[in-house]
Amino acid sequence: MIEWAFLLFGLFIMFFGALGLLRFPDVYTRLHATAKCDTGGAISILLALAIASNFPVTGKLKFLVIAFMIAMINPMVSHAIARAAYKSGVKPKAVVDMYAWDNP
Amino acid sequence: MAQENLLVILPYAVAFLVFTATLVSYRVIFGPTLADRAVALNTATTKAVVIIAMLSLLYDAPYLLDVSLVLLMVNAVGGLIIAKYMEVRA
Repeated sequence: MIEWAFLLFGLFIMFFGALGLLRFPDVYTRLHATAKCDTGGAISILLALAIASNFPVTGKLKFLVIAFMIAMINPMVSHAIARAAYKSGVKPKAVVDMYAWDNP
Repeated sequence: MAQENLLVILPYAVAFLVFTATLVSYRVIFGPTLADRAVALNTATTKAVVIIAMLSLLYDAPYLLDVSLVLLMVNAVGGLIIAKYMEVRA
């Protein structure tokens, strides 16, 4: 039963990542949404598959190897894209000014 | 035992992930800048990795996991090369 929880949690998280990629105003906020949501959702789904599968131990271990590689690779590529976007002249549009929200 | 329990929902999960990948491909096609396209392509490739891992469980074929792992590594190299291209072109 725990694999159902992991699978549904991962599916919802990946859907919210795609929604954030479509709706956020800026490259950096989109990177923020997809880097977190995609990594977490993919690791959760792969854990569910590794728990539920009938494969031998090497097959189950391969799911965990893919999850580990996603956890290493996805933030690395996101960091490289953010650095390259800032160096190629894309300025951030979203400004967080919480003091102005509270004191109009 | 547990695998047959999960096989009920797995085709719908694959269809749902294909739907979200279709949503993401809007940003690949109409993205305003090159960085948007790179981010969306990275996201779509991660979704494809998860879809192939699900299909390996659905078809009971463990060799598809190797395909998934190779696609993940190609995604890493391709993303870094696109980032380097954006940095050099600026």
